[in-house]
Amino acid sequence: MAPLIEARNLSKKYGSHVALDNANLSVEAGRIVGLIGPNGAGKTSALRAMLGLTTYEGELRVLGREPFRERTALMKEACFIADVAVLPSWLRVDQAVDFVAGVHPRFRRERAMDFLSKAQIGGKRRMRELSKGMKTQVHLALTMAIDAKLLVLDEPTLGLDILARRSFYDALVNDYMDETRTIVITTHQVEEVENLLTDAIFIDKGRIVLDSSLDDIAQRYCAVSVTADRLEAARALKPFYERHVLGKTVLYFEGQERGHLSEFGELHTPTIADLFVAKLSRGAS
Amino acid sequence: MNNYAWLIRREIWERRAIWLVPAVVSAVLILLALFGRTQFISDVPMESPYVGKVYLGFIGGLFLTVMMLYSTLYLLDCLYDDRRDRSVLFWKSLPISDTDTVLSKLLVALIAIPLVSFVAADVTSLIVAFIVSIRARSMVGGALWEGGTWLQMQGLWMYVIVTAAIWYLPVAGWCLMVSAWVKRAPMLWSVLPLLVIYLIERFFLGTHYLAEVLGHRLGGYAQAAFHGSWKVNDVTTTAWQFMDIRGFFGNPATWIGLVVGAAMIVATIQMRMRRTEI
Repeated sequence: MAPLIEARNLSKKYGSHVALDNANLSVEAGRIVGLIGPNGAGKTSALRAMLGLTTYEGELRVLGREPFRERTALMKEACFIADVAVLPSWLRVDQAVDFVAGVHPRFRRERAMDFLSKAQIGGKRRMRELSKGMKTQVHLALTMAIDAKLLVLDEPTLGLDILARRSFYDALVNDYMDETRTIVITTHQVEEVENLLTDAIFIDKGRIVLDSSLDDIAQRYCAVSVTADRLEAARALKPFYERHVLGKTVLYFEGQERGHLSEFGELHTPTIADLFVAKLSRGAS
Repeated sequence: MNNYAWLIRREIWERRAIWLVPAVVSAVLILLALFGRTQFISDVPMESPYVGKVYLGFIGGLFLTVMMLYSTLYLLDCLYDDRRDRSVLFWKSLPISDTDTVLSKLLVALIAIPLVSFVAADVTSLIVAFIVSIRARSMVGGALWEGGTWLQMQGLWMYVIVTAAIWYLPVAGWCLMVSAWVKRAPMLWSVLPLLVIYLIERFFLGTHYLAEVLGHRLGGYAQAAFHGSWKVNDVTTTAWQFMDIRGFFGNPATWIGLVVGAAMIVATIQMRMRRTEI
């Protein structure tokens, strides 16, 4: 089966600033993919390109379509929440439901109403009267009622408190996700989505640094806590990153056999956040 | 087609001024009729046959002027506002093409807003005539029906809505283009480039082409669409004779404007596709 999203040499320039630099990535159906990178790394540019909101160079297919040329058709099968609080302040909750029901062929009103009544948000209220967390719930209610193949979330929980963030992700995983759906999510708060993801794509300075499933990551990457006396021997195996924690040195290896590494100290699989820091610091040095 | 119905409804939800502005004008006129001096009304020779014409012309002209001002402001704001508050990202997450979005705004400005104003003018003219007839014991109410004046006025409104939409299409296109393009101050940017070109022409080239073209477009509508001026004191000319349908559609300026306006709207759609939030 062809991947849901496929980018080949995707580039985007704003004047002399290169936001995306020959990025290659692919996303398979049924995955929850984290697009992870520091601010200004090109995350948003990549998403904008995938959603048909901007022109780009290179080859890009989303659900078999060219996003910029076929945005309207694409939006019947894909939906996105860009940031929070983009619902217009004058819009009433019931108007939002009516409008989306009116223009979206795959919208199921009962689902949205069900979700809204669970969140106890009345239809007559305007967006400007709602808290940021409630607005996010409304947006989620609208989005989850759309029977879409692809959901794209761009920093969906920015500016939300921890309760709202938690309930956002809970709803996403419990009420939305199933094997027919695919989610692409960008965030710079890696820890928060870590246990949600099936895949991670690291992006830095417009380039894809890593594009891998979490299972692969667990197999390929390994971190070892090494005491000072064994450090030199361990270093000979060419770790790609070192970090000093509480008198020990944690060495990060890629593609080394675990049995071999365990001679040097305690092994563990690096978290996405660790790996992210390790990968990007290497790029910087 | 269904999308357009929703898009236009959306505009009416958002822009309550579409009906609030004519409602306020209407309320002011009705209050004036209720509590204003009746002296002025009773001074008008009521028996003169053209009083209905003057009266309806005045009310119509007032609503028309207000409507045109509001329509212009609307056009300048409609593709800018949602980029500023970033709600464009919500609208663009729905399967609605940018062409439909832009055309729906154009339809609102050139058809929906004028139609609402037309209905408001109609209702107001009847209510005010009724009040004045009773208060000043004038015959203005009756004069409305004299010689089919009322009916002529309806025809005139429809004619104005259609011909003004065509004549002012390049102006509307320009406003939409500015609205879809600028990062701030659309009202300023709608004037500034024109002013610069005008000044360059005037001080460096010694020509006035832009001023001429603009003057002709902005001020030339009545001349293009009507035979001379509507002689109010001449009961023999009806509104039907006043409309210069053949002249309007036979005028190359009408068609040139239409083509230029259409080109600007195509450009607006292209900008809308590329520009998201500011």
